[in-house]
Amino acid sequence: MALSAEVLGMLAFTLLAFWGVSLWALTRTLRQESRKVDILTHQDRMDTYSPEALAELREWIEDHPNDPLADRARSQYNECVDVVTQTDRHFYDWSDADINRLERL
Amino acid sequence: MSDTSPKTARDEWGTRFGFLMAMIGGMVGAGNIWRFPYVMGDNGGGAFVLAFLTLLFLLAVPGLMAEVALGRYTNKGVIGAFRDVVGRGGMVGFGVVVLLVNIALMSYYSPLIGWTLYYAVHSLLFTFTAPGFEAQAFMDSFFANPALMIALHTVVMGSIAAILALGIRRGVERIVVYAVPALVISLVIMAIRGLTLPGASEGIAFTFGVQWEYLVASETWIAALGQALFSTGLGWGIALTVGSYLREYDDVPLGGGVFTAIGESSIAILATLAIFPVVFAVGVEPDAGTGLAFVSLVQVFPEIPLGGLVAILFFAGFFLATFTSGLLITEVSVTTVSEETRLSRTQTVLAVCGGIWLLGLPSAYSTEVLDFLDFVFGNWGLPLATLAIIGVIGWVLGPERLRVLTVNRNAGIHIGTWWNPLIKYVIPTVMLFIMAYFAWENFREPEMIAGMLVLVLFPLIGYAIMSLVEGRRDTTDTAGVTGGDD
Repeated sequence: MALSAEVLGMLAFTLLAFWGVSLWALTRTLRQESRKVDILTHQDRMDTYSPEALAELREWIEDHPNDPLADRARSQYNECVDVVTQTDRHFYDWSDADINRLERL
Repeated sequence: MSDTSPKTARDEWGTRFGFLMAMIGGMVGAGNIWRFPYVMGDNGGGAFVLAFLTLLFLLAVPGLMAEVALGRYTNKGVIGAFRDVVGRGGMVGFGVVVLLVNIALMSYYSPLIGWTLYYAVHSLLFTFTAPGFEAQAFMDSFFANPALMIALHTVVMGSIAAILALGIRRGVERIVVYAVPALVISLVIMAIRGLTLPGASEGIAFTFGVQWEYLVASETWIAALGQALFSTGLGWGIALTVGSYLREYDDVPLGGGVFTAIGESSIAILATLAIFPVVFAVGVEPDAGTGLAFVSLVQVFPEIPLGGLVAILFFAGFFLATFTSGLLITEVSVTTVSEETRLSRTQTVLAVCGGIWLLGLPSAYSTEVLDFLDFVFGNWGLPLATLAIIGVIGWVLGPERLRVLTVNRNAGIHIGTWWNPLIKYVIPTVMLFIMAYFAWENFREPEMIAGMLVLVLFPLIGYAIMSLVEGRRDTTDTAGVTGGDD
């Protein structure tokens, strides 16, 4: 029995949507792990937020200054700012302009 | 060594790969192998795939991100995680609900692992390709032998205890980094064998043929919903527990969410390609559950070239799939009980595995008991656990807090604010719908009544236990972080 183009197309789509995405995620996360290990062999700390995520964290802290978790959030924010400004190698893509704009809270 | 000596620093995954394989190993179980292929073929093939994929990205991927993140945020097992969020008191009892559901789940899952072990051993003995072998009679005599069932249940729980006693890195991780790839390799080889058989294309047409009318049928979406939620193990405490052992700079959303949900479903797709081409090539009626694995497929092996070796690959893979799930399901209880008591890890493992062994005896003795419990906990117990975990994140901790503090910290992909309403509204609503739907479908049936008892009694028992326990403890720490306002 010859398979129709529709069946073959769905088979290809399914393999791409499942195995394609899985292998992409596996490869990406293992490569990121290698980069993190590489960075941590040169320095003892690493940036923990991307520029976008750190900006969101700052916005949340400013919007919720009295939240029970605000101190923890501030500590995480400042830790990332310190690492980004004090180390040469970063995991996330920080431009010089991004770094110059950073301020501790 | 004193039983009450201070506990050493918390264990961590040794490698990123170990964490990922633990997530996959925990989530891939019997359902991926013996349920998914038939459900897919029976619900419109390609149409089901589209519905399933949509629900995976809408519910399972964000939900798993949240559950892993809660474990990572608290670095604790289920009860400790609930306490960190809701503060001391009876409400911590919802963590007990998750624990009780896991123990109940494992009590009937262990005998099922025993079945796969039995068939794996017989595949190695080439029983299924021996002259005069009768699949149905073989299965019937096996299920009619309670002593053998109990012996297998004992071997399974003993093996799980031996591995868990070694700890996270030396025990669980060492097993899953080999078991999960071995499962994938065995299914790939079986798929290649199946796809090269004459007549295999009919199996492909059955499962991947697109019947678009199914896309607008509610049954298709219900089936896809059940598969997306139950197959990925969302909200059972496994992802929370595995996430609690993440290392300082590990990512949550890419590995714990996208890879886990899509990866474990990929194994179900692979199982489809491994099983149905073979079944159709030989002309055996497609089926699901024990009928597929222990009758249809077993009838197929003698009919195909190298069938004995294919049987070994299939049953070894099937056993690994169920065994690694059992390992991680039991770890949920071991982690929590170890944290909440003064028992050492070894003592906890013995207590938890001994308790599960005892509770599993009725299911090992009678498949009717096993089927009953599977139905009750599958339809109401597990959704209740999911509702407890996602509910505490969505309505107490708050998804926005978790997103900015943990999900996007060290993340491999950025998660935007679209994630918040999915956690707060969509997943809890879906879980409530599922419980109500199954209650309606089985109205006044004994299973439905038992399910309602689980829904009412488990939270009450959890609340009562934790009210009592927390009242006796020092209350100077942990005030909880209620009031998530997003």
